[in-house]
Amino acid sequence: MREDARMKDTTLTPAHKVVVITGATGGVGRGIAIACGEVGWEVWIAARRKVEGEAVAQEVSEAGGRGRYVECDVATGDSVAAAIRTVVRESGRLDAVVHNATSGLSPVPKRLSEVTTRELESHVGVALRGAWLLAREIHPLLRESRGSFLLMTSEAGFEGKARLQPYAGVKGAQRGLVRALAREWGRDGIRVNALAPLASSPAMESAFEHEPAMAERVLGRNPLGRLGDTVEDVGRAARFLLSDDAGYVTAHTLMVDGGSCPAT
Amino acid sequence: MPVVGVETPDDPSQEEPLSPNSTILLAPRSDAMQRLADALEAELVPVPPVSDREDFEEWRDGVAAGRAVAHVIVAVWSEGEAPDPLLELDESAWTRRLEGPFLLWNLALGAAAARCDDGGSIVALVQSPSALDAAGFTPEAAIGDGVVALIRSVAASEGPRGVRANAVTTPLRLVERATLAPAPPLPGYPGRIDVEVAGAIRMLLSEDACGLTGRVLAADGGRTLT
Repeated sequence: MREDARMKDTTLTPAHKVVVITGATGGVGRGIAIACGEVGWEVWIAARRKVEGEAVAQEVSEAGGRGRYVECDVATGDSVAAAIRTVVRESGRLDAVVHNATSGLSPVPKRLSEVTTRELESHVGVALRGAWLLAREIHPLLRESRGSFLLMTSEAGFEGKARLQPYAGVKGAQRGLVRALAREWGRDGIRVNALAPLASSPAMESAFEHEPAMAERVLGRNPLGRLGDTVEDVGRAARFLLSDDAGYVTAHTLMVDGGSCPAT
Repeated sequence: MPVVGVETPDDPSQEEPLSPNSTILLAPRSDAMQRLADALEAELVPVPPVSDREDFEEWRDGVAAGRAVAHVIVAVWSEGEAPDPLLELDESAWTRRLEGPFLLWNLALGAAAARCDDGGSIVALVQSPSALDAAGFTPEAAIGDGVVALIRSVAASEGPRGVRANAVTTPLRLVERATLAPAPPLPGYPGRIDVEVAGAIRMLLSEDACGLTGRVLAADGGRTLT
């Protein structure tokens, strides 16, 4: 981590927090977890894959926080409830939840004229049902801590995607869910926001290698000319939304995409 | 299993040829949707009930196999829900208000994309609360923004063959009156299906909108500002 960034972090985010991040076994979720660890927060990696989840938890601890793993299938009510009970039993409180998990079908090209109901159920189950199941469990805890709920959406949720149509649909729906839930939970002191990242990932780097034209398309419209870093660019922006510094920010979708998305 | 909402003649060659400007409306059978179809001179093609998700794919494929038409309007229309906080929705309400309609929206827009002729136009009419009125309507707000992303996806995929895809939003059957200040700029909120809503759709379908795709018009008297 850059030294100047460490100084900045300690002044911006002073309060200790207990955070749960779904689907944080890699990519953007991992980046958010490590960014929260940088400022000493306690971070629970809530995911199905234990080995990968524990590895990220270890990285959080190495970054300066306290990383923990809890098994969680966000599309299943009993699993979500059990995971949140574990967090509260072990940590005693909950300050923030990041719903980052997406269906394994998210990167699979598909048009609406050919998608199956079962495939759609996978997208909706993780992105939307998962958000609802989490909301039901975390509301009393976030009300007590005056905490924050953050949904990870995508620029696809603004502009749509010709090749990833079901994914774009659920990402757009998450934005609507945020703007309505923020209005419902505001009087309880709970903030609800969304963040739309564009970041490097093993999958995207592999895709660039196999299809150089894709890299040209993605980066050609990006004013900064690069993909975001999952920790330094996306993770710290997410951490801001979870922190007390964003105490008056709610119902908002923050684009962290280097200016790529043309939606206004 | 019969294909819901698709009447196939015994001999397809006996079908009356459709007008080059023909319009179909994919929507539930209801008074409101029939009034909309009449206002737009569209043929109403019923969608299956949102509870019958096992029929969705067969319905989509049946509609998609029909003759190409110039204009397709899609409205997975609800006759209304009382506002309920998200935390008060049980499994049944969540499925009825969000998952069922949203799954059907995906497949209905897929049918629309397949059915729309080159150079044609698709409009999604989606019930969505404005930001000020969104409390109690989380499922509908989610569907509203989800459909916008879907219609923009369709605009991107079908644009190369000249097909335009846009959306109209309305609070009709969700919000009866605006309770939070400021009041909508225009009187008559939340509007009428066969006047204000039909007018916005008619404009987007027309050649006057030949340069518009991926756009969203809120037909709500100015309640929504985007």
